[in-house]
Amino acid sequence: MDSSLVSYLLRRLLWVPLILFVVSFVTFALARFGPGDPVSVAAGQFRDPEVLDRIRHARGLDKPFYEQYWIYVKNAARGDLGESYRYKDRKVTEVIFPAIWRSFQLNSVALVITLGLGIPLGVFAARRQGTWADPASIGSFLLIQSIPGLILVPFLLLAFALKLGWLPASGWPRDCSVAIGLLGESYKCIGIAHTYYEIPISWRFLVPVDFAIPVIGMSREVMIPIIALSLPAVASWARYTRAFTLGVLREDYVRTARAKGVSETTVMTRHVLRNALLPLSTLVAFAMVGLLEGSFFVETLTGIPGVGRLAFESIGSRDYDMIMAITLLGSSSFVLASIFIDVAYTFIDPRIRYGA
Amino acid sequence: MKGRNAALIAAIAGLALLAVVFVVLLAGGGGGDGDGGGEQAGPSTSPTPADARGGCDAPRGDDLRLLGSEPISLDPALTFTAGDADYVVHIFSGLVKLDANLKVVADLAEGWDVSPDGTVYTFRLRRNTLFHDDRPVTAEDVKYSLDRAAKLGQTESIVAESMLGDIVGAKDVTRGRADSISGVKVVNSTTVEITIDAPKAYFLAKLTYPTAFVVQKQQVEANPQGWTRKPIGTGPYKMQRWELGERIILEANEKYFGGAPKVKRVLFYLAGGSSLTQFENCEIDVSGIGLDDLERVQSPRDPLNSQYVTAPSLSISYIGFNTQAAPFDDPKVRLAFAIAINREQISRVVLKDREPLANSIMMPGLPGYNKDAQMAGFDAQRAKQLLAESKYGSAGGLPKVTLTIGSAGGGATVGPYIEALQAMWRENLGVDVEIAQADLASYFSDLDKGRYQMRVDGWIMDYPDPEDLLDILFHSKSRYNQSRYSNPEYDAIIERARTERNESARLKLYQDAEKILLTDLPWIPLNFGKTHLVVSEHIKGYKPFPIVIPFLQNVTIER
Repeated sequence: MDSSLVSYLLRRLLWVPLILFVVSFVTFALARFGPGDPVSVAAGQFRDPEVLDRIRHARGLDKPFYEQYWIYVKNAARGDLGESYRYKDRKVTEVIFPAIWRSFQLNSVALVITLGLGIPLGVFAARRQGTWADPASIGSFLLIQSIPGLILVPFLLLAFALKLGWLPASGWPRDCSVAIGLLGESYKCIGIAHTYYEIPISWRFLVPVDFAIPVIGMSREVMIPIIALSLPAVASWARYTRAFTLGVLREDYVRTARAKGVSETTVMTRHVLRNALLPLSTLVAFAMVGLLEGSFFVETLTGIPGVGRLAFESIGSRDYDMIMAITLLGSSSFVLASIFIDVAYTFIDPRIRYGA
Repeated sequence: MKGRNAALIAAIAGLALLAVVFVVLLAGGGGGDGDGGGEQAGPSTSPTPADARGGCDAPRGDDLRLLGSEPISLDPALTFTAGDADYVVHIFSGLVKLDANLKVVADLAEGWDVSPDGTVYTFRLRRNTLFHDDRPVTAEDVKYSLDRAAKLGQTESIVAESMLGDIVGAKDVTRGRADSISGVKVVNSTTVEITIDAPKAYFLAKLTYPTAFVVQKQQVEANPQGWTRKPIGTGPYKMQRWELGERIILEANEKYFGGAPKVKRVLFYLAGGSSLTQFENCEIDVSGIGLDDLERVQSPRDPLNSQYVTAPSLSISYIGFNTQAAPFDDPKVRLAFAIAINREQISRVVLKDREPLANSIMMPGLPGYNKDAQMAGFDAQRAKQLLAESKYGSAGGLPKVTLTIGSAGGGATVGPYIEALQAMWRENLGVDVEIAQADLASYFSDLDKGRYQMRVDGWIMDYPDPEDLLDILFHSKSRYNQSRYSNPEYDAIIERARTERNESARLKLYQDAEKILLTDLPWIPLNFGKTHLVVSEHIKGYKPFPIVIPFLQNVTIER
């Protein structure tokens, strides 16, 4: 890493606190000056104004705006992001991190599937440019993309859960703590994966000791949400890939390589794909920031306690500290990811330099 | 040509998947066993097949599987939603509880005496009742719990003051002037004496609310912030595990004083999802039914029909007027708006009779319900005439009229119900009512400030006594009176009812008060609440109750 890169990195990092300050201030102001507050929403039909004021006072919600913000900043600087009002007596982080983790797992599997389908599809379409296969292949996925989640999810539930009975309709593993594997409680869930030990009965006759094979699988519950998260995104990735690949295919060096008699496979992998993947890597990197977000519709309709739903509910219930924490975590991961991408570029593409 | 093949396979696989979905949906009926599309085949442990509709196997073990809502808190002193109460009434107990007929019966108390003047209640505690950690329950625990709940009224509890406020000295605690309720006295280890400020018959009903439930001092003081994650109570079920966002597992309290529950474990799945689909797929044993599915389930040909149960709930939906703001400060305008809409028709056509039409304020099942109390029926002619007689003179003389609706998440459309109301007012009164739809936070904020003319809302009874409806919502001095309704004659009747000790005379007073409301119309009653459930045929004794009561201990699983 040369010194110019280090100073570039430092300059970028110095901006981070300022960005977070602006984001936090704006979010804080929007929440406080918007109508309603957490006490008022939570109260439901119990609308005794005196009681509500007493609780607001106890929570410090009657203090002037700048004072409340200052208290928040002071606590946040010490690593205390506050307490939830919706989830009483819990630190917001205790609620948010598990929710992000759940969404992250689903999104990661979904992203792998999306890229695994989308990138080859894009290359395929680019190579078949001008034939019926080009619009037909991407078009079929565009069709899926154009179905709103609100319709796609019930559709998948109806098909795979009710009609076929292959998959559960609930979207999050349920029986982990209660399921009994062949070795009693040895059945464990780790997020969306589960492990258990299987003893092939027949082996017992051959091997005198109990011999168990560990099995790792993905919980069946999460498959419908993963389909719903991955398939609609395939078309976009295929179209990016197709565009980038077409751009490279027209380059002189590709023609030269072909003219030299380099085999088609080598042309595609060494010359075309490597260059087409460079712009794609930026998009992938930003998509990876998106792994920390959640889809409200998919999470709600299939029952996943993820961060998309949490964010939506927090705004509805004016759970101030929760809104702040989700916004801050989201924006800091976005900022850090973009710095990371810039730095990563210098390694992926040696032509990129950051001068003073 | 490897890359090319992979791309082809990927594209074909995607299309195949889509095709399978279509085929499955078009084929309908019989669940095809793996006709093509093997890529979705999961591990061998498949769920109970859902082919034979309504033919789920009994749940494994002694587990009852329900969808639950994520609690706000499991501290009874802070419980004020039905969602939280569903757990709290099964984990904790109070001195008294409601039975299935909504009568107040003894719970931790085995009985009680009331002083001749009706203000001193002496509760005799059941002997040998144990907390979930085997500590015995004493009168000190009762006193501690009530003091604590009142103290939380200073900082956190929204309901402490209204539920305990009748006890002498309770308001001193909720307002921070005392640490202990002077009206709650420990006589000896099994006797508690509670003094209330007037002979109020509804006091016992209020004591059935979770605010008055008994918590364990040792546990609360050892961990004031975290104890509610595994609370120790005295109820038929104890908390086994609460995994935030995922599940709550309640386990039978074998030492429950009312007898060990038959269902040994109740699993509440907190992650939600499509409830009825999960029920049909045998993943849960009970599900609510949304309006869109109700017609199907109610049809005798539907396989779900045999598992359908329904019961009224003590709740009402209504249009509430701001009786202090133009134009609804004139009772004639309120009546005109009320009889210009054909509520019976809307209820039948739009709601498809999901909920019974409300013609009174008190609902069936509530003590004092009067089936002869009827608000004026639909009469478009008279409505126009009333508007002409009002101080505004005509539709043109009215200021702009807005109907405010609050909805969680601020839904995208107002729905056919509101559209029907709007159309009827336009047609029968010539008034164009504007609809202002807001998310709950904005709605409540406007409501508290009195910034509305009329609104659609509902009221759910907290305890089965007309006081919780007619007194706290319409007495001019009540802080819950959002209609800002004020009628000295009405106030006088309500005040007499508060301390009337003859039960039938007391209920008669409420009926008289209700008649005034049905003339003055601070509300247009719309519909009474009704709960619709499907309950697996293996689960016996599970049914909807009009109000949250402990009942899981009576549920059994049959194979």
